[in-house]
Amino acid sequence: MTDLYRKEKQHKKEQLQELVADLTSPMNHTNSNFKLWIGFLLVLIAVAGVFYVRQIMQGLGTTDMRDIASWGLYISNFVFLIAVSLVGSLITAILKLSNQQWATPLTRIAEIIAVAALFSALAIIVVDMGRPDRLWHIFVYGRLQSPIVWDILVVNTYLVISLLLLYLPMIPDIALLRKNMGHKPKWQQKMYKTLSLGWQGTEDQFKILNLSMTILMVLIIPVALSIHTVTSWLFASTLRPGWDSTIFGPYFVAGAFMVGAAAVIVTMYIIRVNYKFKEYITDFHFDTMGKLLVLTSLVYLYFNLNEFMVPAYKMKSGESAHILGLLVGDYALMFWLVQILGMILPILLMVFKPFRKPLPLLIISVFIVIGAFFKRYLIVTPTLLHPFLPVQNYPASYHHYSPTASESMIVIGSIAGIALVISLFIKLFPIIPIWETAHEKGFDNEILNNS
Amino acid sequence: MTKYKLLISIGLLACTQLAISQVKPWPVSPEDAAKVNPVAIELKNLGIGRNVFTRSCVACHGAKADGKGLIQSANLIDAAFQKQSDGVLFFKISTGRDKMPPFNSMLKEEEIWSVVNYLRVLVNRSALPPAKDVKLELSTGDEIKSITAFVHGTDSANLTFQEVEVSFYIKREFGLMRIGESSNLTGADGKVKMVFPEKIIGDAEGNVILLARVENSFIYNDAETEVVRKWGDPLVTEDEKFNQRALWGSRDKSPVWLLLVANGIIAGIWGVILYVIYNLFRIKKAGRIFIE
Repeated sequence: MTDLYRKEKQHKKEQLQELVADLTSPMNHTNSNFKLWIGFLLVLIAVAGVFYVRQIMQGLGTTDMRDIASWGLYISNFVFLIAVSLVGSLITAILKLSNQQWATPLTRIAEIIAVAALFSALAIIVVDMGRPDRLWHIFVYGRLQSPIVWDILVVNTYLVISLLLLYLPMIPDIALLRKNMGHKPKWQQKMYKTLSLGWQGTEDQFKILNLSMTILMVLIIPVALSIHTVTSWLFASTLRPGWDSTIFGPYFVAGAFMVGAAAVIVTMYIIRVNYKFKEYITDFHFDTMGKLLVLTSLVYLYFNLNEFMVPAYKMKSGESAHILGLLVGDYALMFWLVQILGMILPILLMVFKPFRKPLPLLIISVFIVIGAFFKRYLIVTPTLLHPFLPVQNYPASYHHYSPTASESMIVIGSIAGIALVISLFIKLFPIIPIWETAHEKGFDNEILNNS
Repeated sequence: MTKYKLLISIGLLACTQLAISQVKPWPVSPEDAAKVNPVAIELKNLGIGRNVFTRSCVACHGAKADGKGLIQSANLIDAAFQKQSDGVLFFKISTGRDKMPPFNSMLKEEEIWSVVNYLRVLVNRSALPPAKDVKLELSTGDEIKSITAFVHGTDSANLTFQEVEVSFYIKREFGLMRIGESSNLTGADGKVKMVFPEKIIGDAEGNVILLARVENSFIYNDAETEVVRKWGDPLVTEDEKFNQRALWGSRDKSPVWLLLVANGIIAGIWGVILYVIYNLFRIKKAGRIFIE
């Protein structure tokens, strides 16, 4: 009897070893493609850096932003990145709290996307400032009445919670790494040792950890909703055609869940193919994420209908130039491409199961992500070009906005930064949670602690 | 397909900014080109030309006539422009093209010819005699609040100058407010008088700064002088509204409800975050006990 028990235990231990080896394999195998990829990202970031130094030296004149269109590609990108970051709360908190166990392998992917996008969003805000050396003024002179101050507060709060929600579930994994990564450089081992907080897997530790995680999961939902609601208020609390809307908060949040889910699908596809994680990120995950994406897209479609149908029906004189510009005017091509290729067509396709297979879903998600970016551009820029007060005595160039090469390269650099953070993270930490996967596969803490 | 969509979008962006600025030929018939300017380059006519230029041309062509006004327009002081005959310039100003309106409907013929002369003088001042220095003196009559400018020479001869255009201003917060007639010319004694207008608001004590200038003249160099008089109504600021706590108030005047709600939320959320961070230390402590 004891022999059989010991044998089974031994067997389980081997199985667990296999699981750990599997899930840490991205950290142990680095090929030349990866180095090329990192090099490519670094080049993009360096180019953006050069353009930014030029912008610092010559001022915001290197952008096409002028008196009328004072927000452009940078702010569009900021809104886009904040939207992407919202998915962290969707996957890790909302799905987990509603006991959707299938999402476990995706939690860390979602959380690292959120953290990376937030860092990038904060950077792009500084880039948008003409005098970044005066950033501290917002803390010293900022008025609590201003939505900009709320935004700064809530973005930083969300970043801290996201970092914690990335870190806390990782502590037991890091403890595993501490034991299993003896062949890694010293600094890395030291990092694991510090970050594992002396995790032994005791009952007490698990109790505190689970409690803390539950608290964070509950906390992050209102904060996540407020981060994008406040971002939308930056627009909605300004008296402008197209922004003067009461549904901007939920409209932005719905759009954020849609683009965030699409971003997770893109990332999980790349990780699955690149690191051969077919066993952990299965077709079932794509199918379910596809269904989730249809749901979030439908909600967003509903808000879009409200957002454009109602003002277009009324055609108030102050707003008509803006609405017509979007529907049939200067921005019509972009508007309809975004709406059809980035929303309506994806919804129609994803309703059918074959399109929720990994590859078709990847292609659809890429369309959604790109569409979402240009959608943010359509929210920010055309409105600014149609102020309520008549524009007089301005140079002709002020009446148009089209991003300069400098702006475009800096924005591309910011996206490359996100990719870099995620890529390096995969090399340092297991992208699929080990102990949670092990728990679901029926390994108990005792085996986990001793492996 | 994705690339294609991206290209279209980028192309669309590019299209919106293509401002077409080509130089089209502007044919002028030989008869029009050969017209002779009937207005002589004289100081009096130049004054007319300058006034017309300031009123009708500066907005687009810029104060220096270099084409850098509110819109990109023709440079009126470069050699290629000045090579054109008076007749050609007269025709172009009269008929207009594209964004340049036809000025024959707004200006008299002599005025257009005077502007042509003015443009010539802009690049060639040496056609005129050198400008003279003048000194401006201000004296005020307190009973009827009037101000008198006295224009005279700066040298020992101390000649008085008549028919000199003097502009009067009151200094305001962000600029100068012109007062007096549209044209104030000095009389035979070199003096011109101006009555101070009613209901001008000064500083808290009612002080106003009065300014007199000789400016933009071809005959005299610019001169300026100012005096301070307690002629205005005292400035009364109603800061009651600004001292209230309100959404538009300054940093230290946020509404109480906002302070309570916002700081309450911040304190609540950060309290929980700090508790979770404290839990990290508890986890560490729990592990240490286990080792011991």
